[in-house]
Amino acid sequence: MQTDGRVSLLVVDDEPRILSALERSLRREGYELITSETVEEALRLLDARPVDAILSDQRMPGTSGLQFLAEAARRRPDAIRMLITGWTEEIPPAQLEQLGVRALITKPWDDGKLKATLRRALKPGGG
Amino acid sequence: MSTTTPAARWLLLARPGRPASAMARTLARVEGTLHVVSVDDEARALARCREAGVELVIVDLDPGPERERWLTQLRREGRPVLDAGAPSGAGPRRLRELGPYDDEILQNMNSALLVIDADGKIAACNPPAELILGEQAERLRGRSLRRWFASDAPGEDCIARSLREGTRFRGAESMITRSDGTRVPVGISCAPIVDADGARVGVVATFQDLSEIKQLQRQVLQTEKMASIGQLAAGVAHEINNPMGFIHANLFQMAEYVADLRRVFSAVDELRKAVVLGDAREMADAAARLDATAEETQVDFLLADLGKAIRESQEGSERIRHIVQDLRDFSHLDTGERVLADINQCLDSTANIVWPMMKHLVVLEKEYHELPSIACYPMQLKQVFMNLLVNAFQAIEEKIGGRPETGLIRLRTETQGGSVVISVSDTGAGISPENLARIFDPFFTTKKVGVGTGLGLSTCYSIVRRNGGAIQVESQPGKGTTFEVQLPVDGGEAAADAD
Repeated sequence: MQTDGRVSLLVVDDEPRILSALERSLRREGYELITSETVEEALRLLDARPVDAILSDQRMPGTSGLQFLAEAARRRPDAIRMLITGWTEEIPPAQLEQLGVRALITKPWDDGKLKATLRRALKPGGG
Repeated sequence: MSTTTPAARWLLLARPGRPASAMARTLARVEGTLHVVSVDDEARALARCREAGVELVIVDLDPGPERERWLTQLRREGRPVLDAGAPSGAGPRRLRELGPYDDEILQNMNSALLVIDADGKIAACNPPAELILGEQAERLRGRSLRRWFASDAPGEDCIARSLREGTRFRGAESMITRSDGTRVPVGISCAPIVDADGARVGVVATFQDLSEIKQLQRQVLQTEKMASIGQLAAGVAHEINNPMGFIHANLFQMAEYVADLRRVFSAVDELRKAVVLGDAREMADAAARLDATAEETQVDFLLADLGKAIRESQEGSERIRHIVQDLRDFSHLDTGERVLADINQCLDSTANIVWPMMKHLVVLEKEYHELPSIACYPMQLKQVFMNLLVNAFQAIEEKIGGRPETGLIRLRTETQGGSVVISVSDTGAGISPENLARIFDPFFTTKKVGVGTGLGLSTCYSIVRRNGGAIQVESQPGKGTTFEVQLPVDGGEAAADAD
């Protein structure tokens, strides 16, 4: 939790329109939203500051959300990790569990469900 | 070299151990493929003679009751039969000495057969030739074949080259145009007739009607194409789900924005009413409520963001429209006629379809140079490009395994001499030399069951040849592979196998 009491949430997606739609969806949720279109930028950001939670896209140019979350976990092990994906193939649950991914959101998402899922996942000790 | 036209099926009934007669050997030279069937197993031999598609049974047996029995039997069944060892003269007769005018051959085969004399005129023909060319024999004799071929059809040229240079062709594809305007795709095999002094005195040509085969080829192409679209489906779904994701979310938000804006408007309306009434106190209250509502709803933000959300959603729906259009374009078939096409555009739109399935593992480099439009079958070429791209991606996937790395696919186009050259290079697993020799063979695959049909590259090969071009491959195991497709700018000739 940040000093101002807001939960900081880093959202990573190579699609800027997705980022802006997520910002819209979460506008009233009271999070401190930080967005990044590239994994490189997101990792630099994580080096510079802690965040409470990370929501990452799965398929990104040259990498995957799982790879990125693994990297992110090394830098900020306490940050809650979540995945959002438009990919229809199944991501092995074992891999999600191993990385401690607390929520898996599929695109297109339902606004109400998205908010509820995030609230649940970001609750202290939630999951 | 392989040919896309199966040779006519001629059976040679023989007794194992007995050397084939001279005529049988000569026939084999003309037709290319003779299936030798042993008469040791009579039932089986008879069954083979009765198979569909058998055009001629050549009975190559020693004179005697056995030969008579076979000839009688086959003739009674109405099978086209030729007695290769008919004791009609001294020593083995050669076809060219008989003259391919021999009525028995001409009448009994199902392929169209034409004998062309040294002047390029039709000297003899058989009933199937009358059928294909659409004229009676008497109207064919003495005429040049040229009038049946359009100026750009390669068929007449094969025969001319046979006559001029002695080249033999097998299954050269061409198109015959009859006098009534109907067109028939044909496969032409031809060989020179050489007299005792070695001079070329004519050409023997067999024509096969390829209409049915062409139809089948189109079906195979379509099947292979649909199979490759199946491979893309997951990637395409992803590519659609992304814009769908933000359009869906934006619509939901915009509905909320509109509800908020409605609140602001009703506050505005109250203010308007207060103004009409002219009560200063009411006006001040209404103005304060409007301010509060505007602040609460962040109306300035709403108005600005509503426009942005609409623009972004429009862009997303446009993107979906494009994806669907690309897919539809890709699944279309060519009309059967060559059209002028921009190869850079064909390659790029194909790369766009394939990109979503590979972007997590691949860096795609494009180096397109300006190209002249070429006469080709663009839909088929797109299929070639897609096969090459998917193979390149799979090679990279195989090399990388699960490691967090990426591979490189480089697309390059340029003009070299009279050809347009398209190359697709990857930094994937590469192909071992023993597999490299077989990759264009039908049904050859090293992929797991269910991943490939084994037809991708063989389809590429036949498509490229049908477009008058060539395809080459270079590979280093562990380093990567480059496929190069060359297409003649002038459209070139459809594939003809000269040997």
